[in-house]
Order: sequence, then structure tokens, then C-alpha cells
Amino acid sequence: MKPASFEYFAPTSVADAVSLLQEHGLEAKLLAGGQSLVPLLNMRLARPTVVIDVNRVDGLSYVREDGDALAIGAMTHQREVERAELVQRVNPLLHAATRLIGHPQIRNRGTVGGSIAHADPAAELPAVALALDAEMHITGPNGEKAVPAADFFVTYLTTTLEPAEMLTEVRVPALPQGTGWSIQEMARRHGDFALAGATVTLSMNGGMCSDARVVLFGVGATPLRVQQAEERLIGERVDAALISEIGREISSSIDEPLADIHATSEYRRNLAGVLTERALVEALGRAA
Amino acid sequence: MTFEFPKSLDDLPISSPKWVGKPVNRVEDPQLVTGKTEFIDNITLPGMVHCAILHSPHAHARIKSIDMSRAAALLGVVATLTGEDAERWSRPMYTTPQGWGGYVLATDKVRFVGEPVAAVAATSRYIAEDALELIDVEYEPIDPIVDAFSAAQPGSPKVFEEHDDNIMYQRVFTWGEVDESFQKADHVYKESFRWNRVGANPLETFGVISEWDLVDDTLTCRGAFQTASFMAMGRAATFRLPSNKVRFIAQPHGGSFGGKGGGRGTDITLMLSRKAAGRPVKWIEDRMEYLSSGGSQAWDRHYEASIAVNDDGTVTALRVKLLDDMGATAEGFGATGAVKPMASFTGCYAIPNAEYDLTLVATNKLPASPYRGMGPPPHNFVLEQMMDIAARDLGLDPAEMRRRNFIPADQFPYIIASGNEYDSGEYEAALDKVLEMAGYEQLRREQEEARAQGRHVGIGVVSTIEPGVFDWNAYTVIGTQGIGIPEGVTVAIDTMGKITARVGFALEGQGQYTVVTQLLAEYFGVELEDVRVVLADNLSAPPNFGPGGSRLGVAITGAVLGAAQRLTEKLTKVAAKLFEVQPEDVELLDGMLRVKSVPESQLSVANAAAIMLNRSDMLPPDVDPSPQATFAWTAPGRVEPDEQGRVKSYLTAANACHLVMVEVDPDTGQVEILKYYIADDCGTRLNPANVEGMVQGAVAQGVGATLLEEYVYDDDGQLLTASFMDYLLPTIHEVPFPEKAALVTPSPFTPLGAKGAGESAIHTTPAAIMCAINDALLPLGVRAKEVPASPNRLWKLIQGASG
Ligand SMILES: Cc1cc2nc3c(=O)[nH]c(=O)nc-3n(C[C@H](O)[C@H](O)[C@H](O)COP(=O)(O)OP(=O)(O)OC[C@H]3O[C@@H](n4cnc5c(N)ncnc54)[C@H](O)[C@@H]3O)c2cc1C
Repeated sequence: MKPASFEYFAPTSVADAVSLLQEHGLEAKLLAGGQSLVPLLNMRLARPTVVIDVNRVDGLSYVREDGDALAIGAMTHQREVERAELVQRVNPLLHAATRLIGHPQIRNRGTVGGSIAHADPAAELPAVALALDAEMHITGPNGEKAVPAADFFVTYLTTTLEPAEMLTEVRVPALPQGTGWSIQEMARRHGDFALAGATVTLSMNGGMCSDARVVLFGVGATPLRVQQAEERLIGERVDAALISEIGREISSSIDEPLADIHATSEYRRNLAGVLTERALVEALGRAA
Repeated sequence: MTFEFPKSLDDLPISSPKWVGKPVNRVEDPQLVTGKTEFIDNITLPGMVHCAILHSPHAHARIKSIDMSRAAALLGVVATLTGEDAERWSRPMYTTPQGWGGYVLATDKVRFVGEPVAAVAATSRYIAEDALELIDVEYEPIDPIVDAFSAAQPGSPKVFEEHDDNIMYQRVFTWGEVDESFQKADHVYKESFRWNRVGANPLETFGVISEWDLVDDTLTCRGAFQTASFMAMGRAATFRLPSNKVRFIAQPHGGSFGGKGGGRGTDITLMLSRKAAGRPVKWIEDRMEYLSSGGSQAWDRHYEASIAVNDDGTVTALRVKLLDDMGATAEGFGATGAVKPMASFTGCYAIPNAEYDLTLVATNKLPASPYRGMGPPPHNFVLEQMMDIAARDLGLDPAEMRRRNFIPADQFPYIIASGNEYDSGEYEAALDKVLEMAGYEQLRREQEEARAQGRHVGIGVVSTIEPGVFDWNAYTVIGTQGIGIPEGVTVAIDTMGKITARVGFALEGQGQYTVVTQLLAEYFGVELEDVRVVLADNLSAPPNFGPGGSRLGVAITGAVLGAAQRLTEKLTKVAAKLFEVQPEDVELLDGMLRVKSVPESQLSVANAAAIMLNRSDMLPPDVDPSPQATFAWTAPGRVEPDEQGRVKSYLTAANACHLVMVEVDPDTGQVEILKYYIADDCGTRLNPANVEGMVQGAVAQGVGATLLEEYVYDDDGQLLTASFMDYLLPTIHEVPFPEKAALVTPSPFTPLGAKGAGESAIHTTPAAIMCAINDALLPLGVRAKEVPASPNRLWKLIQGASG
């Protein structure tokens, strides 16, 4: 379990990092918290010949309120997001989701940008990014751009990031006052990647659902937004019957999820439905 | 000379015990928690090089060719090794049963994914691993044999061509009137069960540094050895060297639980050292190597069981048929795990008749290793499920069912149907204690209420035996002749009165150095700080075996007390000469040698030792100036098994009763442990804190085996759980901290009445949790028969019930 040899760079600015990426192309990998990359290197499953350590790049670690959104630097440790009082206040769903990532030791090192760029389909941050309409701020050879979460995740461990691009900031809109929210997941052990998960936001107005978001994770190649379920909710009085109907529909309608030794496709489908129901119940209870 | 060992703490030469029986802090811990303990990977020797091992990617394949030339040419590579070297320099591995193994590096074919095929030594581990990628091996894959049942069929493709089939061992042991009992029984219950592969996972994997001195052909190995002397003997045999030319230095290590086999790594590094002109060669097994090719896997079992029961709930006979999938070879003593259940076959119960139909089969998986408990945990799971099945059908409460079958307290020592002798026990008292702690009736009411609300809550109550202190005769039925297990210590007092105990076993985590320290401080009336325990290598230690089979605590107690007594005899003579009395007139009490009739005439142990060493004029004529004594303890009365394998093998029988309450989430299959109570009786507790640690750790492993851990192979024999991402060990979040009570029924057979306690709750926890799960599932009319009871499995089972 020793990595193949690689050349190591530790740039101190985004511009330097990007130009290194540009120079080395597909041979290079950015190193953020290393919680996903380093095991891959050690098992020789990833063999970049160049590793660009961006931990010394200044100014990429912050959580700020910016208008109606939170601006989070890509290199911000997950633990900082978890502990930021600001996040708890402005976006309790993001706070809750962050707490579900691994263990404190992992979150001490793992970064927000790393998790989102890595795009593990069972990861929490990509799912809430999608649920909350987050925006990815990216710097590349041609300057900066912003990509909505809905366009960012392509497939397993793949995003629209180009080889020479770096994620620098994630902007997460605040959860409007009164919005009900929930994130539910099932993992074999505390801190494991979820076998499946669901996150929901729900706005209620005069007893009727005025807006809803339902996003599943761990059941497809990317986080999955279930618009069908959202449409069933909007304009309805959300009750137990509707919730269990939605759960059943999800279990029977989603594409066959990946099977592994911990969960068959059939079981993952079931979890998707059950967890969505639980998330809906909890979100409804929180909606004002 | 026969020794009279003190039967209880009252028999020690002290007015009131100060150390023994008290939860004193472990003497090992300050070093451990401050990071000062020297583990094998902390050691660097001059000229040392690093080994990396190439493992087979195939479960079953013929090796057509191996080309090491590109690897050997890499800058930094010092030596390379293949099966050809192993054939030339070593003998095939020792196996039980015999004849089911090959060389430490594959020669003609590979038999499991992970089997070592070649190795290199290089100036760094990085370069060594780079070199592995330059080794060119041409394989011709053969259909792998993965399923145990197919492997056992006549005509199955074979793991070893030289054998007629894949059956490593097959035998039916019959004890008593089994057929008749089943014919006469009011009720017969039959069920089959599956226990999937689990195994030991110590914090530290195996590691070794080997040197083959080419000048005088001596071997020196430092490493994480559980049983260093035994390993040394094995190396002498493997390399055809005189055994006194093999030196083994055991390092303190981070646990073993049976997983620190290490034979292959040791032999490979030794041969690499030989090729590297004697340079020390280090190999640290990494976790992926450990999981896929180390001592990590055990107990891959398919069971069929039946019990014969009378209307009143008394069980008259038990039949267990076991097909145990041993993997590719019989190296590493994994097979002993299928035999040990014979030491406690009928559990806590007076079941007079029993039968064990045992088959060990070879497949293309990693060879099975020992694991804490050594085999009974799955057997206990089966037996306890059968007890519950019978109880349910007869309308008996599970606790009552057990009560009706317990061996009564007044019948000890008690010889069970399978031949082992239980020393003592109070099984009903332990059950009562647990029921009282748990508030059993109230718990059952809570369960009723939960059920009324549609929740699936269940309670398991089980009692098990932990056979302790194994002996040479325990596994002879499968061919482990020649493994004696005396345990020795040399106790020395120096001029300054300080006491040193020299032992042959390394620090491994169980706290035995603390026990030795407590005993000696107590015996000679000194402080714990006045005693130091040091490790000796195999060539200078007294006879020893080390931890294993829940024996070391008892064995080392015997050794220490024996040595202390011998030493006291010498000191007594010195005091007698000084006081001009006869030795019989002098006694040791509270650290003083005193004349019985004249208590003012007294000499401290320290002074007596100093006189011996420094004043030859004061030495009695028959005493040499050596305040030291050695004693090696072994259990008395151990003889060969009879024709049905019956044997008094394990000296002690500890008992535990566990009560667990769980809730099963029917929508996800997730199990939550709500409550957990334990009453544990391992006789005299030499250090109650040590025992508590053993119980708690074993609960963790039991929870892992029951709910999380499983080595999974696919149909091609590929291991799908080669990292901790997929082989799920319980973490602090998954492990309950049960409320624990101690009962003390001393053993009449051991020094101070202590019983083996090192395996502990792993014998009980899986059975208890599975009984609780099945109690929870009862209203659904389904029964979980497979371990681990993963959420996916339970969910599927529940789906079957409602659908
Ligand atoms: C035991 C364990 C449990 C875990 N459990 C969970 C869990 O439950 N849920 C979960 O979501 N995650 C979990 N993780 C993963 C963890 O959250 C990682 O932190 C995260 O996936 C990657 O973040 P990182 O900062 O460590 O990135 P790295 O490992 O350094 O990088 C990951 C990938 O992202 C790329 N990358 C990193 N930063 C950038 C950037 N700014 N721009 C472009 N590309 C970038 C890297 O090149 C690399 O390919 C777990 C990890 C471990 C070890």
C-alpha cells in the first residue's frame, strides 16, 4: 500500500495551481484533504504522475454570508462548516448533511470542494448541493465561471470540471425561513457512506405544499432529483397517505440502482422509498 | 516433587491481599498510551531492506512461468524470491490435518486469491512495491472451487490433485445413545444454519524482521509473534536447522486474536535475507494483505442441527452436522476451530447424548485461521437457536427452558457427553443474576407493549461456556501431535531487593504482565513498582507457549506461584541458618521470613536475597548463591482422547449469561441493541479490570460477527471485502456497553481458582443477539438463520413473511 511515484507541487495561488494543471493535463491530480485521493493513490488505483497539493493556496478556506447565500471556499474543511454557527442558522440542512460525512477525523481533513469535485454518488454534499440549487465557482485557464449543481454532476466520480479547472467556491442559497427540511440515510455503521439517502425541502403555505425538493443519493450515478415526487407534493395537503404513496412510487420507479455486497438493487430501491417517506415526515414537521 | 498450589487468595503468604483480585492499573499502559512501546515497525536495523510480496490475482490457476528479471534489474532491488527457492531451501508448510499445504511461495499452481507467488527485497518498501509491478507471471486459470457443498461432492474439481477429493477431514463422533434418544423423544426439532466467514482483526497486522546469518547458519527473527517459541521450532523444521540456531524475539504487538500467524511472512523474509547475504529483511503486512492473505479469516460454516426434547423441556440428545469451509490449505491451525466445540459441545446443559458429524472441506479461498473463541461461537449460536426453537414450540419461556436443562451446581466436576470435564459452575445463579439486573418480567411487559404498537422488539437470554486452558491433547484428533504447552517463568531477586520475572511471551494487550506483577508483589509483600516483567527470547526463556486457548492467565499464575514457592524455600533456608532454627520453623508472611514461634526474629525477603548473593559465609551448605527460581506450569491429568475423541482437554469452564433486547426495523432490516446485561463467572478474578476489558472487547467482536463482519467471495473466488471499506468492523458507535455483574465460582483445579477468561463474550454475544432478533421476528413468522444478520438479509426475510 505505497503509491507509485509522482512529482509533487505545492502552489500558493489558484493561478499557479491552474497553470500547473494546464501544463500536466490528465497526468495531474489536485490534492485537497486527501481523504479520497490518498487511499486511491496508496492502493495504486489512481496513478497520477503529478500531484498538486492545494493546501497552501491562500484564501480558499472560508464560510461567509453573501446576500441570500453562503459562500464556502473550496478548501474549507467539512468540520469548519459543521461547526460554523452561521451555517446552522442560515442553512440547517447543510449543517445536518455535513455531520453525516464520515467521522470527525475525516471531516477535520476532508474539504467541501474535495467532496463535491470527487462526486461520489453516495456523498451528502453533492446531494444537498443539488437540493439547494448550489452554484459551483470554477477557475480555469479561461478565467472564472459558475455552474449550477444541476449541470455539474455527470456520472460516477465525474463532473463537468475540465482537467485544467479547479473548483474554488461553492455558493449555497440560504434555506428560506419556514422551509421544512430533512436528510435521511441508511449506512451499515455510523459514519459510513450511505447505502442510500434522501434529502427533502418542503415549503408549506396555508396547509398546502407550495414548493418541494426531493433528492436521492446512493441510488444512481449522481445525486437524483425526483421531480415526479415534487410535482405530486406541490399544491397538495401533505398527509400520511400521500407520503407513503410517494415512497412506494419512488421504490418502484427509480432506475435499477447499483448492487454491491451490502445492498442489492431491490433493497436500495426499498431504502430510497422508505427514506424519502421519513424525510418527508420530518420536513413536514419542521415546515412552518 | 508435587506442588500444592494456593487454592484461593487466602492461601497466599499475606495477611490480606493488597494486589491480587484488585482492579489495579495495568503496568503495560503508561508505555502504550504515551507511545513508547516498541512495535516491530518502529525498529530499523543497520543494512535493513524491505520486502514486498506479490499475491496471486487468481483463485485457482496453474503457474506457467515467472520472470523476475525486470524486477531484479530495478535500481534498489536487492533480492528476489520465487517458489523455486522455497522448494530448494524449505519444506512444505506444516498443516493440520497433515498434507494439505504447499510451500510458502506457490510452485505449481495458486490456490487462492492473495497466495504469495514471489517476493522482492529492496532498499525501501516503495521500491519493493514498484518492483512487484515488474514481475511477469504467466497464469493459466482453472475453474475455481468456491462453494463448500459442491467442493464436498464426489467428482468435484480438486484443490490438491494429489488427494482423492477435497475432503480434508471427515468423522462422525457419537457420544451415548443418540439414535435411541431421538426415537424416544417427545419432540424432535431440526434446523439448518449458516455462519459466514469472519475473523481476527488486531489493530496491528503481522510484521517481522528476519536475518539469516550465513556465517554460522543461524536465524534471528524479530516480530509480532503470538507464540514465539512455537514459531521458532517450526522454522527449525522448515529449514532443517538445529533448533538452537533459531532465535525468536517477540516484540510487543497490537493484539492477535489468533490472526498473528505469520509463518509465510517469516519464511519469505528469512529466505530473502539468505539471498541478500544476510541483511535484515523487514516485512510489514499491510491491511489489505492481512484481509486477503493473512490470518484474518475463520469459521465459514454450514450447519444442520437437531435436538431431542421431552414434553417437560429437558433435552436428551443433540446432533450437529458441520461442513466447515477451510479454504485452500490446512496451514495456520484453522481446523482446530472445528474441533474445539467438542470441549463444550452441549453448552451449559446436561444433555447426555450427542453426535458431531464433522467435515472439513478445501476450497479456493484464503486458508482459515484461528479466531478468538477458536470455534465454539458459531456452535453456540446453533445450540442456543435450537433451545429457543424448542422453548417456543413447548410454550416455555426461553429462560425457563435453559433453567430446566442446566447442569446442577452440585454435580461438578461434571463430564459432558463429548468428554471434557467442567470444573465448577453456578449456571442458574448467573441466569438469576441477569434476570434480576434486567428486570426480566418488566422487560417482557415492555416488549408486549411495543408489539402492541407494531414494533418488533425481541429479547434473547442465553448461557454459554468458555472452555479455558487448552492442552496438548485438545486437538490430537486432527493431528496436532507434539504441541505441548508448559508455561514458565524465572523469578529473580537482586541485591537491591528488586524482583524480575522473565517470561517467554510478548506483550499483546491482555494484561498478563500486570497479573505477573500483582502476584509477585503480593507473594513477596512488595510494591508493584518493585517488580518488573521482562521478555526473553526463545533460547533464554523458560519453556513457554504464550497466549492462546484462554490459558495464559491461569498458566502463568501457576508458574509464578511455583517459582515463588521454590524461591521461598531457598530464602527460608537462609533465614533458618541466620536464626539458628530449622527451615520448617520459618515461614513467609507479608514479605518477612520469620521464625514461627518467635515472630520478632524476622528477615525481609530483600535482605535474605542480598545475604545469598553477597555473604557466602552465611549461605547454608545446600544453597547456591542464586536467589532465583524457575517453574513451568502445566495442567495435571491430561491424557489422550478415547476412540470417540472424548478427552479432558480444557481445564476450566467459565460461564456467562447474556440478556439482550433488540429492535428490528422492518422497513430497513436494521437492528438496534436497546439493552444488554451480562453475568459472567470466570472463577477468581485475578484482576477484575482485566476481565472487564476482556468481556467488553469480546462483546465488540461478537457484535461485529453478528451484525456487520463478513468476508465475501464472489463466484470466481475473488475477495470482495479486501479493505475496511467493505469488511465492516464495529466502531464505538455500534458497540453496546452492557451492564455487567461478576459471579465467582472458583475452579477447584487451578491455582487460586481462576479460570480462563480471555475469549469471553465472543462465545455468547452472537447467540444472544440472534436469539433476540428471532424473538423480535416471531410475530412475523420468520426466523433468521444466517450470520451476520445484515439489514439487507433481514429485510429480505421480512419481505418474504409479509409477501
Ligand atoms: C473513512 C472515511 C469515511 C468517509 N465517509 C464519507 C461519508 O460518509 N460521506 C461523504 O460524503 N464522504 C465520506 N468520505 C470522503 C470524505 O468526505 C472526503 O473528504 C471527500 O470525499 C474528498 O474530500 P478531500 O478534501 O479529502 O479531497 P481529496 O481526497 O484530496 O480529493 C478528492 C478528489 O477531488 C479532487 N479535488 C479536490 N479538491 C478539488 C478542487 N478544489 N477542485 C477540483 N478538484 C478537486 C482531487 O483531485 C481528487 O480527485 C469518507 C472518507 C473516509 C476516509
